Amino acid sequence: MELQEPVRPAPGQVWRMEKAQLQALLDALQRRGYIVIGPRIQDGAIVYDEIQRLADLPIGWTDEQEKGHYRLKPRRDEAFFGYAVGPHSWKRFLHPPVLSLGRARRNGQGFEWIPTADPPPRYAFLGVRACELHAITILDRVFTAGPYVDPIYQARREAIFLIAVQCTVAGGTCFCASMGTGPKAPPGADLILTELPDVFVVEIGTERGAQLMAEIPCAPAAEADRSAVEAALEETARSIGRKLDTTDLPGLLYRNLEHPRWEEVAQRCLTCGNCTMVCPTCFCFTVEDISDLAGTQAERVRRWDSCFTTAFTYTAGRPIRQSAKARYRQWLTHKLASWWDQFGTSGCVGCGRCITWCPVGIDLTEEVAAIRQTDGERR
Amino acid sequence: MSKAEILEALRQHPFTHDMEEAWKESLAEIARMQTYAPDTLLLREGRAADAFFLIIDGLVAIEMFVPERGSLRLQTVSAGEIVGWSWALPPYRWEFDARALTETKALVLDAAQLRDRMNRDCALAAWILSRLLAVVAGRLKATRLQLLDLYAPAPRRAS
Amino acid sequence: MISQAIAPSASDLFLPRPFQVTGVRRETSDTITLRLRPPDGSAFSFRPGQFNMLYLFGIGEVPISISGVHPRTRDLEHTVRAVGYVTRALARLRKGHIVGVRGPFGHGWPLEEARGQDILILAGGIGLAPLRPALQYLLAHRSDYEQIVLLYGSRTPADLLYQLELERWRGRLDLHVFVTVDRGDEAWRGHIGVVTTLLPLAERLLDLRRAFVLMCGPEVMMRVAARELEDRGVPPERIFLSLERNMKCAVGFCGHCQFGPLFICRDGPVFPLPRVRPLLEVREL
Repeated sequence: MELQEPVRPAPGQVWRMEKAQLQALLDALQRRGYIVIGPRIQDGAIVYDEIQRLADLPIGWTDEQEKGHYRLKPRRDEAFFGYAVGPHSWKRFLHPPVLSLGRARRNGQGFEWIPTADPPPRYAFLGVRACELHAITILDRVFTAGPYVDPIYQARREAIFLIAVQCTVAGGTCFCASMGTGPKAPPGADLILTELPDVFVVEIGTERGAQLMAEIPCAPAAEADRSAVEAALEETARSIGRKLDTTDLPGLLYRNLEHPRWEEVAQRCLTCGNCTMVCPTCFCFTVEDISDLAGTQAERVRRWDSCFTTAFTYTAGRPIRQSAKARYRQWLTHKLASWWDQFGTSGCVGCGRCITWCPVGIDLTEEVAAIRQTDGERR
Repeated sequence: MSKAEILEALRQHPFTHDMEEAWKESLAEIARMQTYAPDTLLLREGRAADAFFLIIDGLVAIEMFVPERGSLRLQTVSAGEIVGWSWALPPYRWEFDARALTETKALVLDAAQLRDRMNRDCALAAWILSRLLAVVAGRLKATRLQLLDLYAPAPRRAS
Repeated sequence: MISQAIAPSASDLFLPRPFQVTGVRRETSDTITLRLRPPDGSAFSFRPGQFNMLYLFGIGEVPISISGVHPRTRDLEHTVRAVGYVTRALARLRKGHIVGVRGPFGHGWPLEEARGQDILILAGGIGLAPLRPALQYLLAHRSDYEQIVLLYGSRTPADLLYQLELERWRGRLDLHVFVTVDRGDEAWRGHIGVVTTLLPLAERLLDLRRAFVLMCGPEVMMRVAARELEDRGVPPERIFLSLERNMKCAVGFCGHCQFGPLFICRDGPVFPLPRVRPLLEVREL
């Protein structure tokens, strides 16, 4: 059988691209007016920030992660994406940590909102992991699939160009295989890249992804490229060290709301909220109203908030979740149980950030396993 | 008031309505219907607990007299409820006052004769004491909830 | 009062509209009722049981249940108890001031569903506020319902809300009102005790096995009352509670008002008992 070789990239096809051509891809995105956000090294960690050229990428670096531990280490090769995930997630660009909802000025006794017409930023995300694609889909559900649609999230989300890069190394704390969220990227990205030693293999997800690839020197992938990708993903999956048994996870947690383990974990938990800040799906925010000293201008801001603060549940004079136990339980049961009731999906994608960035190394997979082991115990 | 009318009142009152008919007839013999004008006492702290009141109509307050503050009302008892259980416990002495707040009609059972009938009929005693216990538990629960002061203003937060 | 409009459009989802304070009524030492009118003088449509977010320029925003309309002017009314920073500032408002309003939000009382039935309203403290519009609606459509009984518990006689209206309600022959206080004063000749002690009186007037119960008050009171109502034969799916949490966005995005899987702002604040009963048993949820 003779296959007709495609002359132009099209959705569904797989192409190969020399690694240096990633610069051409950056250029093509920038020509389209995108601000490219990708991995770069800052303050000893790989974070997501604006990328101009390939040299901005953490080439030759990897991240060593364990419970409460994160270090950058040089690799033996020059891999562009040879790390797992850092403290940032794409959430910060779709649902920014601080965002103005509007400014108002005093107007006699009253006030009026000053119209703003800032268009949403046009971001291209480069280096989105499989788990992170899932996280973005989860945020889509939170902000756009309910009875109300958040117009701010929606506008930002619609402007995004998504370039996934599948993991060829497993992070020290991740467990995407347990959550069914990786390492293979789900559909949804414009392009899905896999980094092999010499080339990028590029799966084309969308028409605009195809159009972008048409501007970049590349060639259809060979069968060997595809099997190299499969082998790399299998190796990644194999090297994932953590597991979370997800069997009836909501049921397990709902029937163990009074389990002694919550007290036990609360002895260790500092309620710092790091886990909620680094989590790619934690979406809670607070609304703050501020004014200038003269009281003539006011602004309404939304700011990431955390269910680990006592102020989070401040109702009619006092907080409802006062103990650390209640706050940790809220977070974990929300992620793994009530999220299903609210949005039809898990709130956890197994990225492992909450484990790495917990200052005391609390590992949710261990907490769940402990509860499962003594299912039904009550204090 | 005729015995038949008193028997009918016992049949109607929530405390006794599902009691055995024979017991109702027995209780009717030691009961009288009494009307209390507003502000009159049904019973008074320290005196002999010689009666058991089934409130037919009106509103009764359980009170305690506090020097310099007067009679403080703690709880009210409405039509369909009962007043007084000290008659069932030695030394048969009232611990609080009970005052009619509105014109109140009550079926008043003679406590000495009631105790006598209960001594002779263990089943009757068990029936009345268990019902009384339910009333006491209900009042205690209500009192505890009152103690919680649920509607109190929230503490002022330093801000 | 009831209309199809139950939610704001997406564009003004997060920004309150300036309403004018057309009057302030002092209810108790720490509680006032604000009378509010939209900027264009138009009517404000809501369902009894819904809430609004009230905003003060540069100070903050709080969720406050809609407590009905002014009997004469039909202005929107909100009863506010000064307990925090924003509510204390709201309590200082005067006629002519401007307050921001975002809403209405949430699900209200099942007044359509309860048509043709006995209605028992159980209110504790400021919990009467979200029940007042229900009562106003029921009285405006009196012939659509059977017996209506209001049981209202308060801390002291001085803490009773809507005293003039309460007197008018008491004077009606088609409405039974029983008020009780935790602590009486010298002038108080009424009931003393928790609101649930009034249940036997309600039971004499309506058939609890067929009644709809609308309830709002401190969570402990509702937990206890719900059990007693069930013990007395009220079908749990006919017991409705209005719950309170600290709504911030009011549309289910900010996460603050979560109660187990529920967002109080979006899924409530009014819930049928079976939906929240297991959650009410969990401490610090």
